[in-house]
Amino acid sequence: MRLFRSDLPLAGDASARFLPWIIGCMVYLAALAVAAALSADNLAERWHADLAGRFTVELPPSPPSDEKEAKLRNITGFLSTIDGVTAVKLVGDSEKAALLRPWLGGVELPDDIALPDLIVVEAGKAVDLAKVSVELVAIDPAIRVDDHANWNGDLLAFSNSMKILALIVLSLIALAAVSTVIFVTRTGLAIHRRVIEIVHLVGAQDAYIARQFLFHALRLGLAGGAVGASLAAATWLGLQRWLSGGGSGLLPSLALSTADWLAVAAVPVALAVVAMFTAQATVLILLGREP
Amino acid sequence: MVLFENVNLRYGDGPAILQQVSFTLAPGSFHFIVGASGAGKSSLLRMMYLAQKPTSGRVNLFGQEVDQLKRHDRPLLRRRVGVVFQDFRLLPHLSALDNVALPLRVAGVAENKIRDHVTELLKWVGLAEHVDALPATLSGGQQQRVAIARAVITRPSLLLADEPTGNLDDTIAVRLMYLFGELNKVGTTIVVATHSERLVQQFSHRQLRIEQGNVRLVPQRSEAA
Repeated sequence: MRLFRSDLPLAGDASARFLPWIIGCMVYLAALAVAAALSADNLAERWHADLAGRFTVELPPSPPSDEKEAKLRNITGFLSTIDGVTAVKLVGDSEKAALLRPWLGGVELPDDIALPDLIVVEAGKAVDLAKVSVELVAIDPAIRVDDHANWNGDLLAFSNSMKILALIVLSLIALAAVSTVIFVTRTGLAIHRRVIEIVHLVGAQDAYIARQFLFHALRLGLAGGAVGASLAAATWLGLQRWLSGGGSGLLPSLALSTADWLAVAAVPVALAVVAMFTAQATVLILLGREP
Repeated sequence: MVLFENVNLRYGDGPAILQQVSFTLAPGSFHFIVGASGAGKSSLLRMMYLAQKPTSGRVNLFGQEVDQLKRHDRPLLRRRVGVVFQDFRLLPHLSALDNVALPLRVAGVAENKIRDHVTELLKWVGLAEHVDALPATLSGGQQQRVAIARAVITRPSLLLADEPTGNLDDTIAVRLMYLFGELNKVGTTIVVATHSERLVQQFSHRQLRIEQGNVRLVPQRSEAA
């Protein structure tokens, strides 16, 4: 308890009223940035896992015919013989419609719009796609083989961009928090100059006074941070519920794992710690400059 | 205990407050600092409790050269000095108990030892009923006793008092001087700054008399005889 008692009347300062709100706003934004980055990372990882060890063979749209059926049988037969291939699956009409539903909603696809034929191939080990492509093009020059490398690359770039963005946001927020705490601490030192002088005269070290500012900043930081983090969690959960319920299927799930939530919960604690040590350092530096 | 050697003091470009001041206060001694208002009594005390640096000259406290002290060492020396300020300088947001406990807390005394110790001292100065009172709710005399309790709670080697009787009626002033006498008997070096010649005459102690910036040591009556 002694650590938290204060000989300086810091709790009555104007800073004690506005600093928690500022910290709360910062934590709200920082927590959302972290949640967004983690969510993007999860999404990229999920999609990457879905596509790993899989490639797609795409044939241009064509009306049903015996010749087309024969070609498809020929292609699937060839694909099944490739070393390492574990499954070859022709995507049916209903599955294609399901794939399009996020873009089209409940609208039925008109009969006169033909869709390309898709064959999904799963491979247990690496397959020489260039060689496979050559073989398939010999069957039909319009065939396209997609190993999703571009898509995976884009996903990775998206995920990394989100992480960098979150890092920038967090850095800016930390910078703003440090500046605010320095300003508040300087003001506190000026307001309580007389009290600090008395505390010095009865034998207090600068560190004793700095400790009082440190715990004051920690208290305010945690109070504001708790509010900000709670609001951010509520916002994220609301968004998650909206997306999973009434949102379009195009939009990804925002679900976070327990570890992710712990990372989000660490944001207010980290910011409170930053505020705490900033206050302490400010007091030590400013008092150290006095004669 | 306290050594001043050729100490000069002036504030900024103003006139000299103290000039070529030299004296030594032996451990366990009792001195009055006497002089008219504005003579420099408070300035002399401020140098003794390290709130003021001399413009030039040498100040030595407890065998340590004050101008060679590092910032970190100054509080350690201050803990050996108790000060009763003219305006008390109590912290208005703290209770009497917390004001008196302040020097113990800054010195790192365990919290469980503080309350009993402080309560006992407040009882000794007649404030047993006002332990939790804020300074604003106490009379001038009561505030002064809190200030005195704060000054002596750490059993300082040197007790400095700046016009301690200035706000007190004669009866309480005399009682206060007897209290200082008791502390002096147990070995505390006492320095009391006052402009009251009557008080100085009433209690026979050595005097540091300040006149026009110069300090003259006046022995106590028994020594002079």
